[in-house]
Amino acid sequence: MKLLTQTNRIYFGFSLVIYLLTAVAFYQIVRLLIYDDVESRLKVEKRDFESYVRSHHSWSSSPYFVENKIEVTRVTSSSRPGREEFTDTLIQDRYTSELVPFRQLTFYEPIRGDLYRVAIRKSLIQSYRLIEGISLTMAVFLGLLLASMFWFQGKLSERIWRPFYATLVRIKAFDLSRSDSLHLTPSPITEFNELNQVLQKMADQMQLDYRNLKEFTENASHEMQTPLALINAKVEQLIQSEQLTTAQTQWIDTIYQASRRMSRLNQGLLLLAKIENRQFVNSQPIDLTDELILRLKDMDEVLLHKQISTNILPGDAFWARLPPLLADSLLTNLLSNAIRHNQPGGRIEVRSSAYYLQLKNTGPAPTVEPEALFKRFKKGSSSNETVGLGLAIVKQICDTYQLTISYQYEEGMHTLSLAEG
Amino acid sequence: MKVLVVEDEQELAESIADYMQKEGYICERTATFWEADERIFLYKYDCVIVDLTLPDGDGLQLIQHLKQLAATTGVIIISARNALEDRLRGLEIGSDDYLTKPFHLSELNARVKSLLRRRQFGGHTEIRFEGITVVPQSRTVFVQGQLTTLSRKEYDLLLYFLSNLNIALTKASIAEHLWGDNIDSADSLDMVYSHIKNLRRKLVDRGAGDYIQSIYGIGYKFGLP
Repeated sequence: MKLLTQTNRIYFGFSLVIYLLTAVAFYQIVRLLIYDDVESRLKVEKRDFESYVRSHHSWSSSPYFVENKIEVTRVTSSSRPGREEFTDTLIQDRYTSELVPFRQLTFYEPIRGDLYRVAIRKSLIQSYRLIEGISLTMAVFLGLLLASMFWFQGKLSERIWRPFYATLVRIKAFDLSRSDSLHLTPSPITEFNELNQVLQKMADQMQLDYRNLKEFTENASHEMQTPLALINAKVEQLIQSEQLTTAQTQWIDTIYQASRRMSRLNQGLLLLAKIENRQFVNSQPIDLTDELILRLKDMDEVLLHKQISTNILPGDAFWARLPPLLADSLLTNLLSNAIRHNQPGGRIEVRSSAYYLQLKNTGPAPTVEPEALFKRFKKGSSSNETVGLGLAIVKQICDTYQLTISYQYEEGMHTLSLAEG
Repeated sequence: MKVLVVEDEQELAESIADYMQKEGYICERTATFWEADERIFLYKYDCVIVDLTLPDGDGLQLIQHLKQLAATTGVIIISARNALEDRLRGLEIGSDDYLTKPFHLSELNARVKSLLRRRQFGGHTEIRFEGITVVPQSRTVFVQGQLTTLSRKEYDLLLYFLSNLNIALTKASIAEHLWGDNIDSADSLDMVYSHIKNLRRKLVDRGAGDYIQSIYGIGYKFGLP
C-alpha cells in the first residue's frame, strides 16, 4: 500500500483510539463530578431531616419538601436496619407520566421510638442534560480537532515526502545503457540527501562497470582475433611449401582447424556476453516467420545437397521485438541445427501462428537430455566443427527479449518452438 | 602496383606483405598511424590495407585523410571487430571493402585484385590464363574461344583460383569465399568438393588443361601442373 495511505491510516486509527478513550474518560469524569455534587446535596438534606426530627420529635409531609423528594416508611421490627446507601431510581412523573431518573439516598432513622426508612431523592434530569450538553460539545470539538489534525498531517506528509517521490521517478527512468547520469535534486532533508547521494554513487558505479565491461568484451575479442589471424596466415604460408610430407600436411590441417574453431568459440562467447549485457539496443518489431522462410530459401543449395525437403505450413506470422542482428543470429542458429541434426532424405517443416513459431526437422534421437540442450557447450553431435554455443545463444536471446523456447522430440521429429513469454 | 599495409601487429603485417610480394605487388608496411599518415602524403599507392585499431590513432581517420589526398586509391579495412556499425562507418567514409580478422590471406588477395580491377580500368580488364579468358564485367568465361556456361558458384570459384594462381588454398578459405561464414562448415566443405568437380569437368570438356590439383589433407591449387 502507498506510503501516505499507510501513515494516514495509522494516524487515523491511533487518533480514533485516543479520541474514544478521551471521550469515555471525559464522560465518566463529568458524570462522577455531577453525581458527587448531587450526592453531597442529598447528604445535606439528610442532616436537615435529622435535625428537624430531633427538634420536632415527629415528621409530617411539610411543603418544604417537594413531591417525591422524600419518602418515609415505617420499618417493621422483623427487617433489619440496612446501611445508608445511594441508588439510582426511576419514578413516574405525575404530569407527563414519563419515567424520570432520580438519585436516592436511603437511610434509617428512629422517630419516637420506631425505626423508619427514609429515602431522599433528587431529580437527575437536569444533570443528565448537563452531562449530555458538555459531552456533545466536547465530542464536536474533539472531532474537529481530529479531522483538522488528520488533514494537516496528510498535507504535511505529502509535502515532506515529495523529494522521495521525485527520486523514485528518476530511478525508475534510469537506463543503464544510456550515458546520462542520474541527476537527483538535493533536498533540505538530511535523510533524503543521504539517500540521493548513495543512489547517485551506486548508479555512477553501475554505469562505469557497464562501460568497462562493454569495452572489455570488445577489447578481449580484438586481442584474441589478432593472434588467431596470425596463426592462419602462417599456416597458409606453410602449406605453400612443396616439401611437406603427408603427415606434416595433416598436422598443419589439425592446427588450422583448431585455430578456426577457437575463433568461432571466441565469437560465440563474445556474442553471448554482449547479449547478456544488453549491448544491442535497437529493438524493432520483426516478422520472424518471414525472416525464417527467407533464410530457408538462402539455404537452398545446402538442402538440395543433403536431400532435405522443406514444407511451410500456412499460418499467421509470428512477430517479436528485438534487434535485427539478434533476430538473424537466432534464426540462423535454429536453422543450422535443423539441418545439421537431420538425415538424408529428411525434411524441415515450418509452422507459425500469431503466438508461436515452430521449426520441425526429422532426425535421430538426441544424445543430450532435453533440459541440458540449451546449455553452453552441449553438443548433439561429436563433430569438431560445432562449438556447442548455437542453442545457448538462442536461449540467451530469448531470455533477454521476452521469448520462450522449448524443445520436444516425438516420433522421429525434433520440434523447437518459439513463443511469447 | 603499390600496396601499403597499415597494421600494428608486425608478424601479421609481414605475412601480408610477403603474400602481396609473391603476387607481384610492391608492398610497404607501417605499424603506426603517424607513419602511415606521412606515407600517404608523400607517396601514391594503388591500394591501402588499414587495420582500424592502431596504437596511436584511428584507422578511420587515416582513411579520411587518404580520401582527401588521393580519392582513387583503393581502401580495404581489416579489423578484429565485426560490428555492423564499424562496417557501415567504413563504407560511409569511403572504404571499398571490410575483412574481419582472422581472414584468409588468399581471400584478402582476391579482394585486392578485385578492387584494383574495378578502380584502375573501370572493371574492363580481362583475366587470361592459358586457354581460359574471364571477363569480370559481364561475368562470362571463354575456354579456347568458346563461351562456357558456369553456375554462379563455379564462376566465383574460378575467379578465386585465378586470383590466387599457384597458391595452395585451404578448403575452408574456398568455402568462406563462396558462402561467407553463415553456412555450417561441414556442409560447405562437402559442397566445395562437388563444385570443384563440376568446374574441372566443364573446363576440361572445353579443352583446357586440368589445372586444379588437390592437395591431400589441406585443399586445392590452381595452376600449371
